[in-house]
Amino acid sequence: MTGNTQTDTAITIRNLVVDYGPRRILNDINLDIPSGQIMVIMGQSGAGKSTLLRCILGLKKPTSGSIHMLGTDIATASQKEIYKARKQIGVAFQGGALFSSMTVGENIELPLREHTNLDEKTIQIMSRIKLDMVNMLDAEHLMVAELSGGMAKRAALARAIIMDPKLLFFDEPSAGLDPSTAAELDQLIITLKISLGMTIVVVTHELDSIFKIADHIAVMKDGNIVETGTPQQISASTNPEIQGLLNRKPRETIVDTDAHLRRLTGGF
Amino acid sequence: MECNVKSEFGYDLLELSGEVDLQFSPQLREKILGSLKTGNPLLIDLAKVSYIDSSGIASLVEGFQTAKTSKLQYGLLNISNTAMQVLTLTRLDKIFDLYSSIDQFKQKLQ
Amino acid sequence: MSSLVTYIESLGAYCVTALEQTGRTFNMLVQVVWELLHPPYRLYPIVRQMYFIGARSLTLIIVSGITIGMVLGLQFYNILQRFGSVELLGAGVALGVIRELGPVMTALMVVGRAGSSITAELGIMRITEQVDALECMAISPDKFLIAPKVVAGLLSVPLLTMVFDFVALFGGYFVGVHMFGVAEGSYWNGMIDAVQWQDVRIGLIKSFVFGVLVTLICCSRGFYMHLTKAGSQGAEGVSSATTDAVVLSSIAVLFSDFLIGALA
Repeated sequence: MTGNTQTDTAITIRNLVVDYGPRRILNDINLDIPSGQIMVIMGQSGAGKSTLLRCILGLKKPTSGSIHMLGTDIATASQKEIYKARKQIGVAFQGGALFSSMTVGENIELPLREHTNLDEKTIQIMSRIKLDMVNMLDAEHLMVAELSGGMAKRAALARAIIMDPKLLFFDEPSAGLDPSTAAELDQLIITLKISLGMTIVVVTHELDSIFKIADHIAVMKDGNIVETGTPQQISASTNPEIQGLLNRKPRETIVDTDAHLRRLTGGF
Repeated sequence: MECNVKSEFGYDLLELSGEVDLQFSPQLREKILGSLKTGNPLLIDLAKVSYIDSSGIASLVEGFQTAKTSKLQYGLLNISNTAMQVLTLTRLDKIFDLYSSIDQFKQKLQ
Repeated sequence: MSSLVTYIESLGAYCVTALEQTGRTFNMLVQVVWELLHPPYRLYPIVRQMYFIGARSLTLIIVSGITIGMVLGLQFYNILQRFGSVELLGAGVALGVIRELGPVMTALMVVGRAGSSITAELGIMRITEQVDALECMAISPDKFLIAPKVVAGLLSVPLLTMVFDFVALFGGYFVGVHMFGVAEGSYWNGMIDAVQWQDVRIGLIKSFVFGVLVTLICCSRGFYMHLTKAGSQGAEGVSSATTDAVVLSSIAVLFSDFLIGALA
């Protein structure tokens, strides 16, 4: 790669538009994801963050625009080029998306078995190293159905990083987890960035973890990126949309008691 | 990646350089296991390694286990900062015998 | 007037959906063939699917084969007896089983036993993002998930049909010879005289076609679930996709049975 700007950004998204029938899901998205850092894409459900993630992963073809990642424009690349790029990324899905017909260990070893000619012993040690990273060494022989939600997420993370990807995507890491498990996972994401130098993209709506892990935040609303910046910049933002997302909307004080009563009872 | 095994007095020295990744770690594994078969202690010099991925580390781990079973000394020399971070993350820094000079390893041999 | 327009509109929409689904199923076949022609070639996943589709349907096939054979024996005996030609019983049972009932019944049994669970499995994999996960690991779902199932269908259904035919002939034998006292020699000899290579070949062709057809339709219904109305309905969607797949592949089996019979 030539020039510094190329090496500093891992993913460059320009003028990305996604239409679904007459509905516009993503409206002219521009975003630079810096390499070696954690970028959190936040927003409420329906804001378009999942669609954005699916576009970046090549799972959804955008209507127009470009997504440059690992030297390929994912938006226009052929299936073959997309597959080549995908070998250098890891994705941990929201529910884990582990294959239920296999054990945890087999799940994690699968990419190695499909893409490399490594010795059986090497594959086994590699998968155990990754299992140890997510603190699940004892779960190697468990079936996926036996895992709790938090374990499934950690196993999914181990599978995502088995090929030592340059880029890691994590969909809703802390959704549906108890606070201590969520915090553990947040810490793990930070460790991966620091120790392995990965670029990490996290899509979430959980405010607690956003400000703990993010180097950069992109706030989405109704298919637009409302604002991007460091956590400090975002929390200091005066944009009412962002204030609305950060603090819950205050409850209106009841002025008209009759109207409120009618609202609750349906008025009979 | 390049790896050369040199027979020193009383031990083998494996000099490793470049990037150790999925493509080259099978070669590394073969060299390590081959050298251990001769029954000599093995010291692996990682000074010129610019990158090592988990398949490379897995090969080092397998070598260590093999050395242990055949009761041979097995050490890693001049491990770089980045590689060290990976080892720390997987708690392997506590397992391996790490050396910062050849003399240190020789002392251990005696 | 407006209700007529609505009716025509919904009919049109239905046709478009049906065409789309047929197109996707055919496209899947092309993908599977393409993947099968390219390395790496793996035997184990196919064996595993054959165990699932084939071996685990075996009991069902044997039970239904014997039953159908017995029913045929009973039916033919009653008819042939009126014309005083019970020595044709073996021929009647054999031709009915080998040409028609063997392949069709076996295929229908496989639809119910294995086809429905193929659709459900792939549908669940789709809604729990397992298919997306495969894609993101740069593993082709066509190669990893679909191709082994289709090949297993192609190989298992003919094998199961042979088992079905075999036990059905014995079912007819049991009813004819042991219950109604037809001469054992005339049952088997009549059969050997009447059945020609042509009949066996048609039965075999049918079972190969049914095997591919059934697995392909069931795979495509589950795999492309997200593109249909059922896609947004979660677990309920899986169950309706499964019902659809069973109905559709049963109709496809019966219709192509007629088609092959007419053409051959």
